[in-house]
Amino acid sequence: MSTFMLLLYDNPANIAQFQKMSPEEMQKAVEKYMAWGKKPFMVDFKRLAEDTGKVMRGERGGKPRTTDGPFSETKEVLGGYYTIEAADYDEAVKRSLDHPHLEHGGTIEVRKVWGT
Amino acid sequence: MFRHQAGRIVAHLARLLGPAQIDLAEETVQEAMLRALQVWPHQGVPENAAAWLFRVAQNVAIDAIRHRRILGDKTEAIVRELTRSAVFVDSDPDLEEQLRDDELRMIFMCCHPGIARDASVALSLKTVGGFSVREIARAFLADEAAIAQRLVRAKRQIRDQGLTLEMPRGPELRRRLDSVLEVLYFLFNEGYAAHEGEELIRQDLCIEALRLGGLLAASSIAEPRVHALIALMALGAARLPARVDEAGDLILLDDQDRGRWDGQLIALGFHHFDQSMTGEEATEYHVQAAIAATHARAAAAQSTDWPLILKLYDQLVAINASPVVTLNRAVAVAKVRGAGEALESIDPLENDPKLRDYYLRLAVRGHLLMELGRRSEAAACFREALACPCSEPERRFLRRRLGECENGT
Repeated sequence: MSTFMLLLYDNPANIAQFQKMSPEEMQKAVEKYMAWGKKPFMVDFKRLAEDTGKVMRGERGGKPRTTDGPFSETKEVLGGYYTIEAADYDEAVKRSLDHPHLEHGGTIEVRKVWGT
Repeated sequence: MFRHQAGRIVAHLARLLGPAQIDLAEETVQEAMLRALQVWPHQGVPENAAAWLFRVAQNVAIDAIRHRRILGDKTEAIVRELTRSAVFVDSDPDLEEQLRDDELRMIFMCCHPGIARDASVALSLKTVGGFSVREIARAFLADEAAIAQRLVRAKRQIRDQGLTLEMPRGPELRRRLDSVLEVLYFLFNEGYAAHEGEELIRQDLCIEALRLGGLLAASSIAEPRVHALIALMALGAARLPARVDEAGDLILLDDQDRGRWDGQLIALGFHHFDQSMTGEEATEYHVQAAIAATHARAAAAQSTDWPLILKLYDQLVAINASPVVTLNRAVAVAKVRGAGEALESIDPLENDPKLRDYYLRLAVRGHLLMELGRRSEAAACFREALACPCSEPERRFLRRRLGECENGT
């Protein structure tokens, strides 16, 4: 078994979709997200705060430069991550196919954790 | 839970923020639900989920009005008011009562005669019902843009006419209650009409009409006609599960498996039917409820008390001699006095501009002609009916009947 990280990105289109959803659809979405967090191959999942965050850039020979995050409403933004177990990329992708984030137009980046 | 909760939070916030701020109230609720989507999967569903949504919505509203300064110098007073009700949200039975009252005020404002009927219906569903534009569009087989337009128009009418969430009083209350009941009845009928594919959302309309009726019935303005309307809706809704077969084909009342009627809704219907009898008045709703009750009382189609139903239809004609009532009455006439007389009774409808090209008039006519053994004329009727606008299940039903005429079965 290897460990994989699923990086969930939001984009303006899928956020707009959420804003148009009815209470009934919202409730169903909440239920789906909750059920997904309880999958047997789940290791951990976290949602990131919705502030702009900070970006630190190292400068050769100088002090790192810290600025407010690059997040704007016109870009894809990392919104949270899951850590799951799977044999290989194929299985990791297969296990993530029914993640509700995809249903709502979001993007998931699947990355294997080195050495697992 | 979300749908219902959204409706009451919008109603509550609209009362505190003012009816001109319905949009803000709606955005606020949307934001609260989005937070639930983000937080609950990590922290679990809070013990009192409804109160959680309520409190988050209030906090979002407080931020919004402070930030956007839309309420001017009234801002802090309203913030205090919002904070006060947020504290009590878990434990206060008075707040529960207040929320029901807020919902009622909202319905009464949505059904103000100054707002066009179709806009009233859309606005009631959106604000009190917690339906989305897309769901309303699906339920009415309309375009999303058209529904959105109706909502914009309704909200503009509220602002332009300065409509308030004050409950009307005296004779005005009576008139407004009439228009509220009309909207509920319309909602119910729209949900009840048979359409392809969207059976679920349409049942939701029926259930919502019943729920709003229940809200009226539990309030101080519960008049006998309110109970009569609930009775007729509940008894009608009880038949929904038996109305289509597994293939989605329509099953007529006579052929329905009555074991599939919803016993709870029938009980609810009779409960309100009894309560509708307490006054002097006999409205159209009373008579319709009585007809539905007569059907509900018959354990089998054969034991239906058709003479009583015909008498009730005669009463209905006396109250409201509409062509649609005449058409429905014809079915009872056929059962009691024969198809020939029934056919005569609907002859005049042929000249009615609304009913001339109405598939149901032609279907009833075809049915009566069949009973009289006039097959080729019946077939012509069903063919004509098929050329009228109707839904896919209705079309299949007509085709089946046409086949029966042609095959001589």
